[in-house]
Amino acid sequence: MRLRNHLRGGAVVAAVALTVSACSAQAGGGDTSGEGEVAGEITVITQRTDIVDTVFQEYKAEFEAEYPDVTVNFEAITDYEGEIAVRMNTDDYGDVLLIPNSVQPDQFATFFEPLGSVEEMGQEYRLVEEKAYDGQVYGLSITVNTQGLVYNKKVWEEAGITDLPATPDEFLDDLRAISQNTDAVPYYTNYADGWPLSQWDGNRGAMGDPAYQNTHVAHSDTPWAEDEWHGISDGLLYDVVAEGLSEEDPTTTNWEESKTLLGTGQVATMLLGSWAITQMRQAAEDAGGSAEDIGYMPFPYQVDGTFHAQVAGDYKNAINVNSEHKAAARAWIDWFAKESGYAHDEGGISPLLDGPMPETLGDFEAAGVEYVELEPAPQGKESYEADVVAAAEIDLYGNIYRQQLVDVARGAGGGDKESFFADLNQRWADARASVGE
Amino acid sequence: MAVLTGVLARGRTSGSGRGPGHGLPVTPWLFLIVPLGLLVLFTYVPVANMVWYGFTSWDGLDPVKEPVGLDNYVRIFTDPQMFEVFFVSLYYLAGAAVQLVLALYFATVLSFDTRFRNFFKGVLFFPYLINGVAIGLVFLFLLRPGGTLDATLALVGVSEPPQWLGDPSLVNVSLAATSVWRYLGLNFVLFLGAIQSIPGELYEAADLDGATSWQKFRYIIAPAIRPIIGLTTILAISGSLSVFEIPWIMTGGANGSTTFVIQTVQQAFQFNKFGLASAMAVVLLLIVLLVTWIQRRLFPDERVDLT
Amino acid sequence: MTDHTTIGLPRPPARPPARPAARPDLARHRLARGWRALSPLTTPLGITVKYTSLLIAVACALIPLITVFMAAFKTREEFATSDPLAPPGDWFNLENFVVAFTRGGMLQGFLNTTIILAVSLVGTILIGTMTAYAVDRFDFRGRRLVMGAFLLATLVPAVTTQVATFQVVNGLGLFNTRWAAIVLFMGTDIVSIYIFLQFMRSIPRSLDEAAMLDGAGRLTIYARIIFPLLRPAIATVVIIKGIAIYNEYYIPFLYMPSRDLGVVSTSLFRFMGPFGAQWEIISAGAVLVIIPTLIAFLLLQRQIYSGLTSGATK
Repeated sequence: MRLRNHLRGGAVVAAVALTVSACSAQAGGGDTSGEGEVAGEITVITQRTDIVDTVFQEYKAEFEAEYPDVTVNFEAITDYEGEIAVRMNTDDYGDVLLIPNSVQPDQFATFFEPLGSVEEMGQEYRLVEEKAYDGQVYGLSITVNTQGLVYNKKVWEEAGITDLPATPDEFLDDLRAISQNTDAVPYYTNYADGWPLSQWDGNRGAMGDPAYQNTHVAHSDTPWAEDEWHGISDGLLYDVVAEGLSEEDPTTTNWEESKTLLGTGQVATMLLGSWAITQMRQAAEDAGGSAEDIGYMPFPYQVDGTFHAQVAGDYKNAINVNSEHKAAARAWIDWFAKESGYAHDEGGISPLLDGPMPETLGDFEAAGVEYVELEPAPQGKESYEADVVAAAEIDLYGNIYRQQLVDVARGAGGGDKESFFADLNQRWADARASVGE
Repeated sequence: MAVLTGVLARGRTSGSGRGPGHGLPVTPWLFLIVPLGLLVLFTYVPVANMVWYGFTSWDGLDPVKEPVGLDNYVRIFTDPQMFEVFFVSLYYLAGAAVQLVLALYFATVLSFDTRFRNFFKGVLFFPYLINGVAIGLVFLFLLRPGGTLDATLALVGVSEPPQWLGDPSLVNVSLAATSVWRYLGLNFVLFLGAIQSIPGELYEAADLDGATSWQKFRYIIAPAIRPIIGLTTILAISGSLSVFEIPWIMTGGANGSTTFVIQTVQQAFQFNKFGLASAMAVVLLLIVLLVTWIQRRLFPDERVDLT
Repeated sequence: MTDHTTIGLPRPPARPPARPAARPDLARHRLARGWRALSPLTTPLGITVKYTSLLIAVACALIPLITVFMAAFKTREEFATSDPLAPPGDWFNLENFVVAFTRGGMLQGFLNTTIILAVSLVGTILIGTMTAYAVDRFDFRGRRLVMGAFLLATLVPAVTTQVATFQVVNGLGLFNTRWAAIVLFMGTDIVSIYIFLQFMRSIPRSLDEAAMLDGAGRLTIYARIIFPLLRPAIATVVIIKGIAIYNEYYIPFLYMPSRDLGVVSTSLFRFMGPFGAQWEIISAGAVLVIIPTLIAFLLLQRQIYSGLTSGATK
C-alpha cells in the first residue's frame, strides 16, 4: 500500500502481445456475452482514481441516458494490480474490470467472458489479439498508446538544439547541452513512484521489427547486450543517471509534481507513453505556461534512417465471467470504446480501427515516425516470456530492477554498468534454461 | 471454596475439581465459542491456507495449486539474497536500542517533580497515536530535499545537507529514526508506569540507610523495570524482523530499504509467486515464535504483558 | 520499533493480589517524595541538563507536525516560495482544508468510521470480557491453549495472509460492506483480552462465590457482577482499540472499495493522486485526520496512560 499515485492515463501494458495466431478455426465463434437483456446494476472497476468522481460521472449520465435500465457504479482502486489480484480469488471483482497484467493468457477463460473471435472483433477494433487466447478476445483497449519522450520545447530550444536526437549518444549530447546552457534538470526519472520507470520496457517496436519479441527478449540469453532493446533502453537510462543528467535525489521524486516541473521548464525531458502528453499540456497551462511548449519525440534510435514507435493497447476492459448482468456489462464496454471519447480525451489513439489519429501525435507525424504493432506470440508460447520473467525475478514490466539500475548508476549501489548488465544477462540465461525453450 | 480459590490462584489445573453448584464443566466454552469462532475464521483458516500455499507453486490466481513439496523452503534457505534483507533489520534494531535508552531516560526524569510534567509526557507519547499514512506523509515532507529538516539545519549553519532518503548509507537510518519517533512514546509510558508503581516507602527506607542515588536506581528502580525492559527487548527484535509499514509507505523498498516483509509482498505481487511468498511468511512467523520462546525461557516468571 | 503486541502468556498471580494496583497518581506523589533525595538530579547542572534534553525531545516530536500544520494554511504560491519553517501569512486561510475535506470525501469518511467504530467496539468489549471471564474464572483443560491461540494470532504478519482472509470474508458475503471491517477488527484481539484479564484479577473472587451461594449461574455472574465492575478496563479498551481502528487503512482499502464506504484513514489517499503535487492540500488532509486523534488524546490522557501501564505493572 504505498503512497503511489497509480494515476496515469494508462498503465504500462506488458508489451508482450499475448495471443494466438488467428489461424485457428473459428469454433462457432459468435458473441457469447451479449445475450440477455441490457438491464441491471453493474459495477465498473477503474484505476482512474483521479477522474472517477468527475469525468466518469459524465460517462455514467450519458450511458444511462442511452440505456435507462442500467445503473452504473464505479470502484476506483489505488493499487490496482495488487488489490484486484486478491479479489480475483473470489467471484466478486465487479462486472467490468481491467485485465490485470498478472493474469496469464491461459487463465483468461477462467476469469473473463469471451467477447468474440479475434477475426470478427479484429475487423472493428485495434490490437484485439493482445488479450486473446485460443482465438477468443477477452478485452478491449480503453485507449491505445505509442511510446516516446515528452519534453519541454522551450528548454530544448534554449539549449540550442534544433534536430531530434537519432541515437542514444546524440540524446546524451543534447542533455549535456541542456545541463550546460539552461537551468533545467535535463531528465527526470520519477524513480520514487516506481511505475514511470516501467515505461522503459514498453517500446520494443523502436527496433523496427514487428517480430522482435518472438526472436529476442525471452528468446535471447543476453537481452542486455549493447545491440538488444533492453541493453539500448536501460543502457540509455543508466548513462543519463550516471552522468548526473537527472534529478539530484531520485528517492523523493513526485509524479504529480513532475508534470508541473516539465510544464514550467524546470525539467526538460521524461520518457513516457503518449497518454502523458495531454496531462503535461494541462499541467503547463495550469502553471501559467502554454500547451505549445510540450513536445513529443520518438525514442532516439533509428533503423534505416527512420524512427519507429510501438503502438500498444492500454489496459483492457473485460467482463467478469461471474457477472449477473453480462449484457449490460457488454453494452458498457462497447459504449466505452465507441462513444465515451475516453481515448480522445486522453490524447490516445482510438481503439477503433477507423478512429482518427490524435492531434497530440502531430510531432510524430512531422518526424516521420513509423508505427509498429508487435506480432503476438505463437500459439503455445503465450506465457513464455512471463515465465522467464518470474523465474529470473527480473521484473521486466516493473520498476524494482530499474530502481536498482538507477541506484548503481548514481553510485548508490555496488558495481557498474557492465557488471550490472552482466548479472541481469546471467540471471536471464539461467531462467531461460530452467524454463526451457 | 477458599481452598479452591487458592488452587486456582496458583494456576494448577486441577482437572475438573468442581463441586456441585458450579455449573457444567462445559460452561467456559459457552463464553469462548464466539471469540474462538472469530479467531479460527479470521486467523487460523487463513494461516492454515498460508501454510498449505507454502508447499505449492501457486501464482495467486490460478484455481489449480501445484504441490511442489519443500521447494520453496529449499529456495529460502539456500538463496543468500533471501536473508540478506535481514541486515536492514539491524538498523531498526539499533533504532530500537536508542529508543529504549531514550525512553528509559525520559521516564526516569519525568518520574519526579518536573515543571510541565504532563505537557512533556503528552508530547512524547502523542506520536504513537498518529495514523501511519499521515506519519509517512509528515516524514516525507520532513526529509525531502529542501524540506523541514534541511531548513532546520540551515538555521544552525548546515548548508549542504545530505539526501536523507537518497543516500544509500542514510536511507535506513532515516527510516529507522522515523520508526523511533513513532514508537518511543509507547515505551516511555510503559517505563513510566513501571517506575511509578514502586512504593514510596522503599525510597524512604533507602534514605534511612543512606543509599546513594545510583544505589537507589540500581537496587530499587532497575529491578522494578527489568521485566518491562526484557519484554521490550524481545518485542524490539521481533518488531525489527517484521518491519513493513514505514519503509513501504515512504520508499517502497527502493534504494536498499527492502525488508523481509516487503520482499515477501514483492514476490507475491510482482512475480506472482504466492507459494514462495507464503513460505517466506511461514519462515518469518517461525522466527518470531522462536524469539518469543527464548523470551519465555529468559524471563520465565514474568507476568508482564504489554498492551 | 515494537508494535503493541503482547508477549508472554498471562499466568494467575502467584498469590492473590494483596491490594489493587496503586493508582499511578498516588504512587507518583509518594515517588516524588522519595526522589527528592536523589541529589544529582536536583543540582543546578542536573536541572539544566534535564530541561535541555526535554526541550530537545519536544522539538523533535513537534517540529515535523508543526511544519505540516503550518503548510496546511499556506496558499499554493506561498508554499512554493516560503521556507517550511516559516509560519503562513494568513492563519485563517482554510481553503486547503475545504478542498481536502470535500475531495477526500471526509464527511462520508467520518460517518463510516463512526459506524464501524461503534459496532466493532461493542463487539470487542463483549468478546474480550467473555474470553477474559472464561479464562480467569474457570479452571478447564485447554485454558493455556486458548490463550496461546490468541497470542499466536497477534504474531502473524497480516499482510501475508491477505488472500486467504479475503476468501473467508467474501465467502461470508461481507465483502464491500461495513461488516467486513467490523468482523476483522473484532476477530483477534489479544490486547483487549489482556487488559480485561489484568483487571479481572483484581476483582475478588469472593464476589462470585457469594453470588453462587445465592444460586446465581455463571452467566448471571458475568452479566450482573463482573461486567459492570470492569467499567474502567472497558473505557481503556475503547480508547486504545478505537485509536487503532481509526488509524487502520489497509483493511478498509481492500474490503470496502465501494465509493460510498470510504473511511477517514483512506480519505487521505483519495486526493493523494489528484493533489499529489500540492503538499499544502495533502498537509491539510493529514491535519484533518490527526485532529480527532489529538482531541481524543487530550480528553482521555489519564485513561490511556493507566490503561497502557495497568497490565505492565503489578
